[in-house]
Amino acid sequence: MPLRHTFRDRSGAPRPLPKLNLLEVKMHRSRIASRTAVVTVAAVAVLLSGQQARGQSASPTIGEPAPVFTLPDTYGAEHALADYRGEWVVLEWLNYGCPYVKKHYNSQNMQNLQAEYGERGVKWLAIVSSAPGKQGYYEPEAMNEMNEEKGQRALAVLLDPTGVVGKMYNAQTTPQMVIIDPEGTLLYNGAIDDKPSSRPSSLEGAHNYLAAALDEALAGQPVSVPTTKPYGCSVKYPS
Amino acid sequence: MNETFRVFARRFAAAAGAAVVLCGTSPPLLGQVSTGAQDSAGSDLSPHSDGTLLAETRSIQPGSTFTVGLHLTLEPGWHTYWKNPGDSGEPASITWRLPPGFTPGEIQWPAPQLISFPPLASYGYFEEVLLLVEIAPPPGLAEGDTVQMAGRADWLVCIEDCFPAEAEIELTLEVSEGAPGLNPMTEGLFEAVRADLPLVDTAWSSFARFKEPWFGLKIDPPADVGPVLESDLSDVHFFAAEGNVIDHAAEQHPDWDGETLVIRLARSGFSDAIPDTVHGVLVIARDGTGVSASAVAIDAPVIVAGNPTAESGSSFGLGLALLFAFLGGLLLNLMPCVFPVLSLKVLGFVEHAEQEPGGAARQGVAFGAGVLASFWVLGALLLLLRAAGESVGWGFQLQSPLFVGAMAVLFFLLALALLGAFEIGTSFTRFGAGEFMKVPSRTRSARNTTTRSFASGVLATVVATPCTAPFMGTALGWALFRPPTETMLVFTALGAGMAAPYVALSLSPGLMDRLPPPGRWMETLKQLLAFPLLATVLWLAWVFGLQTGVNGLAGLLGALLLTGLAIWVGARWGGIAARSPGRTIARISATAIGFAALILLVRAAGVVPAPDAAPAAESTATVWRAWSPAEAAQVRSSGQPLFIDFTAAWCLSCQVNERVVLNTAAVRDAFRDHGVAMMKADWTRRDPEITWALAELERSSVPVYALYPGGEGDPVLLPSVLTQEIVLDALETYVP
Repeated sequence: MPLRHTFRDRSGAPRPLPKLNLLEVKMHRSRIASRTAVVTVAAVAVLLSGQQARGQSASPTIGEPAPVFTLPDTYGAEHALADYRGEWVVLEWLNYGCPYVKKHYNSQNMQNLQAEYGERGVKWLAIVSSAPGKQGYYEPEAMNEMNEEKGQRALAVLLDPTGVVGKMYNAQTTPQMVIIDPEGTLLYNGAIDDKPSSRPSSLEGAHNYLAAALDEALAGQPVSVPTTKPYGCSVKYPS
Repeated sequence: MNETFRVFARRFAAAAGAAVVLCGTSPPLLGQVSTGAQDSAGSDLSPHSDGTLLAETRSIQPGSTFTVGLHLTLEPGWHTYWKNPGDSGEPASITWRLPPGFTPGEIQWPAPQLISFPPLASYGYFEEVLLLVEIAPPPGLAEGDTVQMAGRADWLVCIEDCFPAEAEIELTLEVSEGAPGLNPMTEGLFEAVRADLPLVDTAWSSFARFKEPWFGLKIDPPADVGPVLESDLSDVHFFAAEGNVIDHAAEQHPDWDGETLVIRLARSGFSDAIPDTVHGVLVIARDGTGVSASAVAIDAPVIVAGNPTAESGSSFGLGLALLFAFLGGLLLNLMPCVFPVLSLKVLGFVEHAEQEPGGAARQGVAFGAGVLASFWVLGALLLLLRAAGESVGWGFQLQSPLFVGAMAVLFFLLALALLGAFEIGTSFTRFGAGEFMKVPSRTRSARNTTTRSFASGVLATVVATPCTAPFMGTALGWALFRPPTETMLVFTALGAGMAAPYVALSLSPGLMDRLPPPGRWMETLKQLLAFPLLATVLWLAWVFGLQTGVNGLAGLLGALLLTGLAIWVGARWGGIAARSPGRTIARISATAIGFAALILLVRAAGVVPAPDAAPAAESTATVWRAWSPAEAAQVRSSGQPLFIDFTAAWCLSCQVNERVVLNTAAVRDAFRDHGVAMMKADWTRRDPEITWALAELERSSVPVYALYPGGEGDPVLLPSVLTQEIVLDALETYVP
């Protein structure tokens, strides 16, 4: 997954680079012994850095800077996460074809959350990571019609047909919810609530993790449950 | 619809005639199938699938539990989910409507399959699955009554897109006083499904070590499973029972070492805490050939390899590590294996100071370069081995009997030379030994001298490897878990420390002037220095004996004998002064005898000791239990405090600590009084389990003394140089 690591680097996590050692090889060219040693070190560095990369968890870390991205919305306007510095941001992974997403939209549960927190200044971005031809993917025009029909209240619906941004955030399901604070720090990544079911009746008595975390964060308190196992349909990444 | 019906359905069709007879309402088994079918309006309640309720028995008995099964059939390519669906999905559920007093049990889930949609993965079933549920009826049922079990089944059916599915399920059974007969329509089916359920068997012991971001799941299966795992690991997969414990899509890299199955599980990106136990199912072989069970339930207690609290020097920065490495290098000079060699080097100065002023400085630098280069090679070798997945730590070289034996022969040769048994020949000189042995002056170019000084640096490092100074283990243990550049810096500091006294001496004319003038005392000193070397031989032979048993030891001593003989023949008749024809014969003979010694050594090193002759079979074995990960986990989970002595025969400081501190009556009584279990992890031979355990303590060498206070606490690491006070204090402080 080279893309994942590229983005990981941009998010600020340092990665040991073997370049330095290669420079040293040039400097010491005349000395055979040290050159051999340095080449060996470089080889080891390459091997180990590869291992470290494989060892990294696929999830962005809570409390660390959220991975940065730029995506177009359904009207072609670019949205960069960096533009939202100083604002509270919610990311919602969206797939209108998914029964679990339908549960939250047909019941108006999602739209109500979008409206409530939108009024409190939270920038709510829905992201569609479905690949073209797969469930939940619509051309921008058709997506606008769907948004109209569903009464979508997010600030914008962003299109991520390559799935790159979804994978950066380890988006596994629709819905999946992310909270980012005004400093760009990841505060929450996980399920919308504690009822992993597609039945509309499961909304009754559900504990909404997103709302609880947002309420805590907006009140200046630490988020007590910063991650939960998301539930729903798989994100329809390109095969 | 028909194509969705496979084995089971065909059996039911064949037995359809019996259905009416069996069940009160007509025809309930196949009737469910039709309720699930699409109605004309197209609102299919169970798209691409069907769900029916089956009974194992033809009747029920008051007060005795009976089994029913939710049978889900799926169109080809579609799947439904296990109790942990994996990254996405939802397990089937049943909302029961049972008569009063009837209590349903949990669904019994057969082992799932991995359903991969990179980068995601789910756990589930294709084609069909029978989910067994035990139902406990109340005692007061009258014979002849009919009882209706009903409910709603919900499941999710997916190909990549998903559809929620549901079915009303229903089954009517008669009450009979006698033992119920089997339902002929489902005969054999329930038994077959039950036999395939994950086996619950305590013979499969397991535990998991967590070290961010991995769980290392270790499973010791019963002996009969060994050959299956030996031949094929392709089906082996661990399915976690809970959704937020492991990364479902990550490679698991199952590895079988002949005794233990090791599976690497990446931590879930959505886990909020490390669980106390990893629950799940291990699938061993899909077709079930040659195994008593194709899947086993696993409940592995988790040991978190936290950041151990160390009494001294566990968490130091690079600067301190470099300092310790430097000091450790300095101390190496005083070790019995290095001291004689280095002393001779100094004697060399005494001579050279007379002959060529300035030459000493050049030699000193060359010697230092030789030492440094050797340490770099050692460090790089260690890193490469570890990168290649070898579980090695510092001291790894001494875990090879061949290396130990070769070192014994080398030290024996050096001692013989010091005693004057032979004059160093030219070939030996090339290895740098002549430099130490002070070959009578021959014409040498300055360049030759420099090369030889470099080579003697290499030799000094080689002879130093068996002796790990106390500080060295700590610094190297730290270094091996740092980025490679830092590891190499620590090795550099170590080499610098070792070369420092000699280089400093060679570079300062003031010190050189204070050396006594050469004389006969030098010859006496040289002979005296042979004895520390012979003591080193003795020690290496002991280590070799522990590794290979008494037969191996005899082989090594034989090799030493032949080496002595070869030297004697070569020196007596093959010397430069000897007459020409005899000289050639003598040299050939000496070489042949040397070869014989080599062959004997290699053969002896290959001897594997009988199990009861294994290391640590000492009188203290009654107090010290042999360490094993499972036993340690067991002791810890019982809440008993635990002390682990990570040791090796070749580790001198380990031996000293054990003799002088750990095995004294005072300390052993204190351990007993504090109720501490004592375990000894013997690293004399290569042991990946111990290497791993050390790695989790962020160590790569022995000695390591880990004290686990009772309960969940992190281990306390005691210093590598022990005193009785240190141990007693630690016991008072941490195990009050």
